[in-house]
Amino acid sequence: MSETDIQADEVVDARGATCPGPLMDLIGKVKQADDGTVFELQTSDSSSKNDVPEWIEKSGNELLATVEHDDYWSLYVKKT
Amino acid sequence: MTGYAIVLASGSLERLQAVSNIASIAAASDVPVDVFATMDGLEAFDRDRIEAMNFEMGPVAQAMIENEEMDMALFVENFERAKELGPISVFACELSMDALGKDLDQYADVVDDVLGVSGFLSRAEDKQPMFV
Repeated sequence: MSETDIQADEVVDARGATCPGPLMDLIGKVKQADDGTVFELQTSDSSSKNDVPEWIEKSGNELLATVEHDDYWSLYVKKT
Repeated sequence: MTGYAIVLASGSLERLQAVSNIASIAAASDVPVDVFATMDGLEAFDRDRIEAMNFEMGPVAQAMIENEEMDMALFVENFERAKELGPISVFACELSMDALGKDLDQYADVVDDVLGVSGFLSRAEDKQPMFV
């Protein structure tokens, strides 16, 4: 999708970083957060964009949406 | 199986990066990881080498480093970050160290301690081994 109404509680800007950077940044934040927190992970790395959903599912969290921008993606992740 | 025991015996930057990526995400996901850096794999953690970026590189590592749009974190940084997030230890093979007459403080801080084969095998008992 190219836009969304989802409001993130916190933005994790990992643009420019390559695997495993974005996912590590996300994991670090999710671990410290309260349940229900919504993160927007910004990544310009397509391998991360494809791999992060795998971690989200395995870890029992929720991928709310993936939004494509001009030169990066936003992944909205809810800690559950 | 509760984790991975990785023997890192190669100094190729591609392999160092690949191991650090896999080990780091595993540890960040709370899967225990022990890395046993031996032979050229240990040498890659030498402080002077890291500072000079003096590593064996093939076309992929070269491309990653030269690509201006990709900010690749060096394997050492990945290990450091992983330690903040989960259960990972990096050990230096004592034999390899002795062969070069070096000691632990000549290697990056991320190397926790020295270990021999038996020490490694004990730690590897409940883990899945990987040889790189």
